[in-house]
Amino acid sequence: MKAKWLVLALVAMFTVVVAGCGVAAGDDNVIKIGHAVSLTGDSSMWGQSEKNALDMEVEKINAKGGVLGKKIKLVPYDNRADATEAVNVTKRLISDKVVAIIGPAQSGVAIAMAAVTEVSKVPLVATTATNPKVTVDDKTSQVRKYAFRTCFIDPFQGTVAAQFATRDLKAQTAAVVYDVGSDYSAWLGKYFIAEFEKQGGKIVGNEAFRSGELDFRAVLGKIKGANPDILFVPTMQKEAALVMKQSADLGIKAKFLGGDGWGSPDLITLGGSAVEGSYFVNLASADDPDIQTFVKDYKAKFKEDPVMPNPIMAIDGLYAIIDAIKTVNSTDSVKIAEQLEKIKDLQVLSGKLTIDPATHNPLNKPAVIQEVKDGKFIFKAKFVIQ
Amino acid sequence: MFIQTLVTGLAIGGIYALMAVGYSLVFSILNFSNFAYGSIIMLGAYMGYFAMTEIGMPIGVAIVLSIVGSAALCFLNEKLAYSTLRKRKASSLYFMISAMGTAIFLENLVYATIGSRFYAFPQVLTQLNLEFMDISIGVLDVFAILFSFLAILTLHYFLQTSKIGIAIRAASYDMQVCELNGVNITKLIGWVFILAGALAGISGMFLGMKYMVYPTMGWITNKAYIAAVIGGLGSLPGAVTGGLILGVLETFVSAYVSSVVRDAFSFTLLVVLLMVLPTGLFGKFLEEKV
Repeated sequence: MKAKWLVLALVAMFTVVVAGCGVAAGDDNVIKIGHAVSLTGDSSMWGQSEKNALDMEVEKINAKGGVLGKKIKLVPYDNRADATEAVNVTKRLISDKVVAIIGPAQSGVAIAMAAVTEVSKVPLVATTATNPKVTVDDKTSQVRKYAFRTCFIDPFQGTVAAQFATRDLKAQTAAVVYDVGSDYSAWLGKYFIAEFEKQGGKIVGNEAFRSGELDFRAVLGKIKGANPDILFVPTMQKEAALVMKQSADLGIKAKFLGGDGWGSPDLITLGGSAVEGSYFVNLASADDPDIQTFVKDYKAKFKEDPVMPNPIMAIDGLYAIIDAIKTVNSTDSVKIAEQLEKIKDLQVLSGKLTIDPATHNPLNKPAVIQEVKDGKFIFKAKFVIQ
Repeated sequence: MFIQTLVTGLAIGGIYALMAVGYSLVFSILNFSNFAYGSIIMLGAYMGYFAMTEIGMPIGVAIVLSIVGSAALCFLNEKLAYSTLRKRKASSLYFMISAMGTAIFLENLVYATIGSRFYAFPQVLTQLNLEFMDISIGVLDVFAILFSFLAILTLHYFLQTSKIGIAIRAASYDMQVCELNGVNITKLIGWVFILAGALAGISGMFLGMKYMVYPTMGWITNKAYIAAVIGGLGSLPGAVTGGLILGVLETFVSAYVSSVVRDAFSFTLLVVLLMVLPTGLFGKFLEEKV
């Protein structure tokens, strides 16, 4: 008997909760925008900052009267940067009736989420997911109708790095050290090599290592013999810092160059003086003169620096979604997705955004080159490919 | 490139050797592989790191603190995890299971309290390097090799001449006969763990300075374990030789074949060696092991 009452009580509680959700979903005075973001775990540093930035922007937009006479309501859920968790979060967001979803930051997570949003016809605007497969289905090579992003993609990043190396650093030879266990690292290395050779440069070394490697001196010893002008290290900050430290041990004189995986303050704490004078391609920089108002407002509100580049990419996504809602004068997800595809020269936080209808990637959105100098990331230049 | 690879291999091998000696020391007495050793090394590195960054100790003091702290931890590890098993005369399989449990417990303890962040030691010796005829080696590596040999020599001298040392060697032949002759085995085993712990502290400091400090750094001891097996588990000269051989072989495989197949190579070597030479290069059954 007791069990029966317990079950009844649980059912009653569940009904109340579900009914509660129903009431919230039926609210006509708000436009809900989902935010799939990692608020706990290793990537939470960026995720928290991303959420702060969106909260701040949404507050500003609502203070100015909102959109279509309605207030914007952000619905943030923690995806823990995990693909399985993110799929659950996506389903919850869709049942909450959001018009579009901002996030996630990771390519693997974005690919998993896109499978759900594609069926539910809710546009997904990824922030820093740079793998081409996020917006283009790998199997069919067709663009995913409901997947978009505001960041550049890895081939673009590799191209930028190679052109920067040949044009600005005047490099003639280069070597690559990459993580064979990471798609990001392996492909970024390949894109760099392709463009570097196209620019007339010579690749004198291309060495792989296994994920989790600590000692790179064996392969670095080989690279030292080839004496390249540039050593391209398309990895995350931890491996990059170790590679640079151990290169210093071996007396390698090359200049170091990397991708957006380097963009964490850890690079400097782990690498110390060995990372000085290195360059990397990033999505955004806090020193970018174009975003100083945002950085100032953020610091005033949250008493800390925004953690780049996620806040910028998320706000770009928010602007794109809002622009689409205004243009189609509707909160219908399908119409919003159709309009997102047509965005051209929209002024967003990081510059001008044009979405390529064929791939749903931004078209030649400027990349930022950062330099490590005096223990800080310095804004070196905005870079567009030629 | 050949000589550079050899020098790098020796530097890596030096660190393997230091850790392998700690393994072999415990194995020589208790006849089981103390897998918790990697976690003690990891905690030694954290102690040294926090002593330098939080308290601002100079590097010498931090190394001493790390040695003392790791020795104490290793001693506690034996008292808490192994001594009751020993009294019940449990088979070495249970010791090994207990050791793995301890390793995973300590690792997760660090995850839960300190977190999964990576830390790097302040740059003291880490960024200096010596160069001659285009061959380059980090000062830290030279220091690590010298210090490893010094530590191993001191240990060897201690085992050969001191009363405790002689008792340890006697126990490594036959623990029961040794006990019958009036040696306090419990006290003796305590000493063995203290010595192994002291080596763990040194290894932790060098690993931390060379690479970085993080909760799973202790798993590099897998390599030290292979080194100890190559040399013959329980043999100290064997552990040193095994460490150097493994370091050099691995570096050559990475440089001339590919760094991707390096670990596959190391573990294959382990399996093959156990097939053809089960007691390693220096391991002798029931003969002098320490």
